[in-house]
Amino acid sequence: MFRFLRCLAACLAVSFLSDGAWLSDSWAQTRTGQKSRAAKARSNATVNYEAEARLIEVYRLIGAGKSREALGLSSQLVADFPHFQLAQLIHGDLLSLQTKPIKTFGDIPATMNKNGTVAALTELREESVQRFRALRDRPQAGTVPSQLLGLSTRNKHVIAVDASKSRLYLLSNSPQGLHLVADFYISVGKSGISKYLEGDLKTPLGIYYLTTPIDPKLLAPLYGGGALPINYPNPFDLRLGKTGSGIWLHGSPPERYSRQPKSTDGCIVLANPDLQKLMATVAIKTTPVIIASQLQWLTPVQLQPERRQFEASLDAWRAAKNNGQAELLYSFYAADFNNYGRTLKDWWPSVAQSLKMAHRRPFQWHEVAVLLWRTEPGSKNPNVMVVTYDEYSPGIKQPTTKRQYWVQAGNQWKIFFEGAIATS
Amino acid sequence: MTSTHTKAHLHSTLCSLLLVSALVVSQPVFADDYADVNRLIKANQMSEALSKADQYLALKPRDPQMRFLRGVIQSDSGKTNEAISIFSRLIEEYPELPEPYNNLAVLYAGSGQFDKARTSLEMAIRTNPSYATAHENLGDIYAKLASQAYAKALQLDASNTGVVPKLALIRDLFLPAGSRPSVNVKPTLPTVATAPATPVSPVVAPIQPKAPTVVTASPNGINQPSVAPPAVSNALAGQDAESAALAWAKAWSDRDMKAYLSSYSQDFSPPHKQTRAAWEEERKSRIMGKARIAVKLTEITVKVNGTTGVVKFKQDYKADSLATTSRKTLEMVKSGDRWLITKEISG
Repeated sequence: MFRFLRCLAACLAVSFLSDGAWLSDSWAQTRTGQKSRAAKARSNATVNYEAEARLIEVYRLIGAGKSREALGLSSQLVADFPHFQLAQLIHGDLLSLQTKPIKTFGDIPATMNKNGTVAALTELREESVQRFRALRDRPQAGTVPSQLLGLSTRNKHVIAVDASKSRLYLLSNSPQGLHLVADFYISVGKSGISKYLEGDLKTPLGIYYLTTPIDPKLLAPLYGGGALPINYPNPFDLRLGKTGSGIWLHGSPPERYSRQPKSTDGCIVLANPDLQKLMATVAIKTTPVIIASQLQWLTPVQLQPERRQFEASLDAWRAAKNNGQAELLYSFYAADFNNYGRTLKDWWPSVAQSLKMAHRRPFQWHEVAVLLWRTEPGSKNPNVMVVTYDEYSPGIKQPTTKRQYWVQAGNQWKIFFEGAIATS
Repeated sequence: MTSTHTKAHLHSTLCSLLLVSALVVSQPVFADDYADVNRLIKANQMSEALSKADQYLALKPRDPQMRFLRGVIQSDSGKTNEAISIFSRLIEEYPELPEPYNNLAVLYAGSGQFDKARTSLEMAIRTNPSYATAHENLGDIYAKLASQAYAKALQLDASNTGVVPKLALIRDLFLPAGSRPSVNVKPTLPTVATAPATPVSPVVAPIQPKAPTVVTASPNGINQPSVAPPAVSNALAGQDAESAALAWAKAWSDRDMKAYLSSYSQDFSPPHKQTRAAWEEERKSRIMGKARIAVKLTEITVKVNGTTGVVKFKQDYKADSLATTSRKTLEMVKSGDRWLITKEISG
């Protein structure tokens, strides 16, 4: 049995788990107090991390050669989360291990080897690999996703999705800076990422914001009781001619705790406890959702040069506006500029009008957030800045929240979309 | 396996042997001496424990309980070879006690000799037919639970994951003394201190060396037709007996109950004093309860004398997710032109 266990550990590639040193504090917390933990799981469906942390503990025990303890924990885990397929699979292996050697992770008996089970097994193994990858390659403390050049105080949280790790990171933003609050396993589209067309079963990549949530009462069980839509297609998507709609972050169906890494029609799907936690935490409209093929985590200092470079353009645009330099200001806008369907020619007169008053009472800008939509590897698309701000126009007390999309062309940044956005 | 585990296993067995021996061995019980040594072992005072054990053994060198304790002391002191030799001697003298096998397995496993550990544990289980049955039943249950977990993992229809395992019921609780050791050797008692002095079971089996089970000779046939000289005849008959054993294994693998049951003679004596009908029923449920079975015989040796024969082999048995290897002996009799099984002995 000892030898068999070593094989299972090797199958799972969990040997690195045995020291447990890589586990962050939040994981360590759930490792203590097993009894209360199980009781808590039953009484509170939204216990964060719970299921995955316990699965990882099972893996850790396997890695440490403690199959009986692992079987004890896996028994509790599948009792608390009977629809956690991956946990059932490892539980099955630990039970099989009592009677025979385990040749591979998910060593199902030959009698169960039918059409469909091979694919299902492969997907569960992928889920296992993805959960591991995310837990092994944790973002370093003090780093943030490289899209976050600047946030406003209104952005209390940021959601960042790393498709390569099947992981959603939830960061909180406070005067002390950004820090990672939680991260969850997620599933993306059946055909992967980089959505382009309606029905292509892909998850879009880019900078989005949460929009109006769907009333849970209207949701089919498939969505697991909650959905947070994002603003796909955004102005840049429309500029590129992308189609499709209804991209949501949502929960899992009752019969599955989590879904396979690539299994959705383009949505980002979480386990229900994770989605509940997310819904209870984030504010709609003001929470950016970054979706990248692979996130790059950098320190704010490392991001400063890019931020300064772009701020120069932004400051020049502000100066032109407050100095009433209409011609100079006009040069900041791209020829294919768009304001909710209006061309630059149609839209410009209203801007020119507002400039006339600016010399007496200047424009003011507050709550400026700057996010850099980086060119994905292999993409011909340029870098895009998504700038959100409150604009106080001359003679008007209430500010208007606006968003601009700037596109990089050589050393120049040009605005191809500007418009007011809904804030509530 | 960590050293703490090794110790834990040794200790759990240590306590039970004390009790078993107290029940089983027909000699005065010096519980105080055992308890003292046991206490010293628990307190990790190994040299004191060893000298106390040696003092005792100087007076009673054959005492199995104290020798067992000495084995535990040597094991805990890291003197693996000495411990192995003590437990091996105990096994030779008391082959029906499971505890020395278990401890030997722990020591083998601790030094990475897993095949030896496995064999030793299998022997421990085989010391009592009830253990073997319970073990086989437990294996079936683990396999079934694993199937259920896999079905949930793969979202299969749970009713589709094979038949419910048919477990073998142990039908005879009280066998005559001597036919097997007491069933109360299960190592579950926490400490010697709390082990009651009163016997747990009225069944007390004296330790006796097991009678050899090999049939070495059979009555000389008076009316044996002797067409060929006996040596040649026996060699041919040996081939026939071997073929019969292989056919029996094939029928078992094919789950061909008719062919399987007809491999057994009318005179076959079912184990555990079952009736032939009850035994057939049990075999049927056990064999047909499996989705697939593969029985492979290797290292076959045949001894034939006239119309009786003994076929010995190593039996590799695989059923669904259970796999075991064991030694087996079939005693056979020639009836007409067929060799039929009269006795089936494991181990």
